[in-house]
Amino acid sequence: MEERREDLVLRYTMAERVVHWVVALTFLYLLLTGLALFWPPFFWLAGLFGGGPVIRVWHPIVGVVFIVALVVMFVMWARDMRFEPEDRTWLQHVREYATGATHAVPESGRFNAGQKLLFYLQFVAGILLLLSGVVLWFPLAFGRGLREASYIVHDLAAIAGMGALIVHIYMGVFVIKGSWEAMTRGSVSRRWAEVHHGRWYRALRGASSGPREWEPLRTPEGMGQG
Amino acid sequence: MPGPAMQVKAVSAAPRTAAGVKQVPEVTKLIDVSVCIGCKACEVACQEWNDLPVDKIRSGALGTYQTLPDLEYNFWQLIKFNEVERDGRLLWTLTKYQCMHCKDPGCLRACPAPGAIVQYANGIVDFVQENCIGCQFCVTGCPFDVPRVSPTTGKVYKCTLCSDRVSAGLEPACVKACPTNAISFGTRQKMLAQAERRAQQLRADGYATAAVYNPPGVGGTNVIYVLPYGDSPEIYGLPRNPRVTFVNLWKGPLKWLGNTVLFGGILGAVLHYFRFGPHEVNGKGRPEDRGTAQ
Repeated sequence: MEERREDLVLRYTMAERVVHWVVALTFLYLLLTGLALFWPPFFWLAGLFGGGPVIRVWHPIVGVVFIVALVVMFVMWARDMRFEPEDRTWLQHVREYATGATHAVPESGRFNAGQKLLFYLQFVAGILLLLSGVVLWFPLAFGRGLREASYIVHDLAAIAGMGALIVHIYMGVFVIKGSWEAMTRGSVSRRWAEVHHGRWYRALRGASSGPREWEPLRTPEGMGQG
Repeated sequence: MPGPAMQVKAVSAAPRTAAGVKQVPEVTKLIDVSVCIGCKACEVACQEWNDLPVDKIRSGALGTYQTLPDLEYNFWQLIKFNEVERDGRLLWTLTKYQCMHCKDPGCLRACPAPGAIVQYANGIVDFVQENCIGCQFCVTGCPFDVPRVSPTTGKVYKCTLCSDRVSAGLEPACVKACPTNAISFGTRQKMLAQAERRAQQLRADGYATAAVYNPPGVGGTNVIYVLPYGDSPEIYGLPRNPRVTFVNLWKGPLKWLGNTVLFGGILGAVLHYFRFGPHEVNGKGRPEDRGTAQ
């Protein structure tokens, strides 16, 4: 659907998109190389990234990049991700949301409660992966009990992160049409904003009273429209 | 291939039982702690036979005769000198320490690299460095803390039980070098019987708790000990009940949880798409129309 420029609002700034994709691509690399080490039938995945010795070297290093980007993302979105009273209502209607009966679902702010849960789940999983990953990285620097526990924690956190990622990719790429463009080009249609994040859109509209109505207030200085 | 004894019967990151492996007697090394005099001839023989450069001896800080504080990637066996108190007396234990060649090796089960760790038909567990990726999962997988990574090659090394010598019908270098016959080598059956006889003898001599160390938590080991104080293997630097519980958890329930989440998640997403499809926002309808699934 071709949108005219005045129909678009900025959903994610350039910086937000870059941080998101650094987190996304590093996590994908970590997941695929991690799967290669987790379960032998997936060892062939190591070949896609240069073979076993190569992924052994790069997996932890990419992990550090992932964690740094994840922390930046956390700080960047912490305010918008705070739980609000409406989120409780939203979660009570998550079934309707998932089955397309979205008229029964209350309006969301910039992020809906599902996105917020995903955000916190990925953040906690990331921190657990970091803590246990450092132990696996330098096993001889740690005691046996801690090392053994770290394998279990690393696996569980990775499995949780993988589950969340599957839901996230499915929702963002396949279900919510327009999300992909939001996270790549940065903008969404006014209609999209109104439908998916009604409270956010109204706040945006209420705040932007300048002559260039398509330019929302949230654009930080120096950031383009994408 | 030097004969049926060196056929591979188990391989890391691969189905556990290889087909067509002939039944051959397992070999076992027996270490009789009660007659070890700590001469370290076995250490020298190991370094010499395996062409391992002798490292600078760094035992000074410990204040013991021990050659090095611990095993290293180029130092595969070490006499541990421990001073412990037992029944109000000082006890000085000398324990030859190296890979235990477990019958159910935790290193092999933890290893994610196909073919990096193998178990031969005769029970020897060997590392194949060409296939090793340097992840060091074996380091944690081993309940005896034996494998060591080389900082230069990034590969992991350990005692091979002189698999090259054994395949040629020779005994391991350490066995050959031992001047007091504290180390014996032969078929597992023979060594177990010999160990049991020796433990019995020690018990008759007043070591009431003398026992054979052949821990069942790893399916038994192909390196066994006769310990005069068999009730406390810790004083010899040996774990009381070595287990690989975390590998079992990982290769058992966690593997299935991971598979369920991965394949279940993808399948669930596909089915959800078929049933409910995407959520599109079309046209410029009024807010009241929002949320109609297309």
